[in-house]
Amino acid sequence: MTSATAPASPGDVGTQANGTTSGTGSQPSRASRRGASGGRASGGRASGGRQAAPRRKKPPTAAGQLLQSTWLIVVVLVLWWVLSARSTNFFIPSLQQILEALGTDLTNGVIAGGALYSLSNLFVGLAIAVVLGVGLGLVLGEVGWLRRVVDPVIHFFRCIPQAALVPLIIGTFGIGQGPKMGTIAFACFWPILLNTIDGVLGVEPTVRHFSKVYRVPKPLYFRRVVLPAALPQIVAGVRVALPIGITVMVVSEMFASTEGLGFYILNSSATFQVPQTWAGALLVGVVGYLLSVLFVFAERRLLRWYYASGAK
Amino acid sequence: MNPTLSRPAWLLLARLGAVALILALWQTVVSAGLLPSMVPGIADVASAIVTSLSNPLFWGALGRTLLAALAGWMIATVVGVVLGLLIGSIRFLDRSTSILIDFGRSFPVLALMPVVIMLLGSTTTMEIVVVALSALWPVLVQTIYGARRQEAAVADTVAVFRIPAGLRFRRVLLPGAMPFIATGVRISSAISILVAVGVEVISQAPGIGRQITLMQQNQQWDVAFAYLFFTGLVGWGIAVGLQKIEDKLLTWKRQMND
Repeated sequence: MTSATAPASPGDVGTQANGTTSGTGSQPSRASRRGASGGRASGGRASGGRQAAPRRKKPPTAAGQLLQSTWLIVVVLVLWWVLSARSTNFFIPSLQQILEALGTDLTNGVIAGGALYSLSNLFVGLAIAVVLGVGLGLVLGEVGWLRRVVDPVIHFFRCIPQAALVPLIIGTFGIGQGPKMGTIAFACFWPILLNTIDGVLGVEPTVRHFSKVYRVPKPLYFRRVVLPAALPQIVAGVRVALPIGITVMVVSEMFASTEGLGFYILNSSATFQVPQTWAGALLVGVVGYLLSVLFVFAERRLLRWYYASGAK
Repeated sequence: MNPTLSRPAWLLLARLGAVALILALWQTVVSAGLLPSMVPGIADVASAIVTSLSNPLFWGALGRTLLAALAGWMIATVVGVVLGLLIGSIRFLDRSTSILIDFGRSFPVLALMPVVIMLLGSTTTMEIVVVALSALWPVLVQTIYGARRQEAAVADTVAVFRIPAGLRFRRVLLPGAMPFIATGVRISSAISILVAVGVEVISQAPGIGRQITLMQQNQQWDVAFAYLFFTGLVGWGIAVGLQKIEDKLLTWKRQMND
């Protein structure tokens, strides 16, 4: 740890955190969010100009847009169905078999119980990470010297492979639900922390000075000034943490467990129930996708004031 | 805020102090018996770290992991940049693929592991495939963002001068998207290492992740913690290094923005 002399500039944590938040590829910072959707709005037609595009071509209707965004998925599914139907490879079952297995296990409660177990682990772990990450992030964002001192430590912990923690934590604390939640919380904590710090650093200096001049009490200041200002960035951090949490959730159940979606996948593959293995993996993917869609939806509602303020 | 801390020497000292404080805290908790007895103390882990340094098995395992991560990362980068530039610059493709890409990017690839193991076995090839599948998405999504963000004036200029497609791709699209691509490539480098280790933990594929699991099963907790420390250190070193390279290579972009 003696090599812990990372760049000592004040914005240190902030810039690195920005890199982390783009983990899902979306741009969390105000400026780039504006830019990204600005690019979308301008039509982006390389051959036409911003002005020329709408005149030359009518904007597609709602049905046309729906068709345009879904045809490829239909093609992929049909191709999968047709190509896998003739598969003679034992390990590549037909899509029909996979869906049948999924249907059976969904209705007889095997998957439902596992999903409930997995998702409760995920949500408790994520909730712990949000509380600790936001709390500590607000403090570190406000107290500059402390942030600079612990910065290398934070980045070191962020780089520890979450999956490698699973055997150690489960080996130490047992195979119960608690250690799994703890592992998920640990993995989700760092992106939320870094993003919260980044968000606090983005509070307008004028607002900061204003609060100081008017001697706004600290609790009020944190609750009504810093927290709302940092909220878009905090939410972006949770959005990054969500897929990490799902991955750790699955891995923690694959390592030593008798329950959950990860166990369902591993167990069916160990007993050569190949369609079930595919079905489980597919289901985890769908659950992951649905959660992220729900999250974006909730984010839109929670941050309506932010999008309305012209940050779009 | 605190003037003394702005001096680099003091900052370094304070940082070392913070590390020492954390280590002391750990040691106190372990010696007080608050944690299960398997958790090793500082001295054990430190000596395990020193012995690992001269252990060829450790270096071999670490090397295998890094090579697999590197291979997967390079595949992801090439595929992601080419596909991303294509999708991002053609409006129709962009619209058509958006749901598919959102799905792929929120898909926990490690959940697919048993399926991939069935198809390819617990081999390094399997590991590289899983790493590439995971590391692809940040590069792809960032490149699409970058390619989409063509300024209207530049697009008009390209159209008016009838710049050929190849030249446009190489000299307009690629440099324009470069800052975004760089971010994506940097993020996916971190993901590559995380996933490579994760794959080895779950499967029997050889590498440092496998070694961590083995040491834990052999009750050699100090060695397991030492290996975990090294994987964190390597990931951190690569992250810092790539950030430095990115800052240096993209100086022109930063200057333009300022």
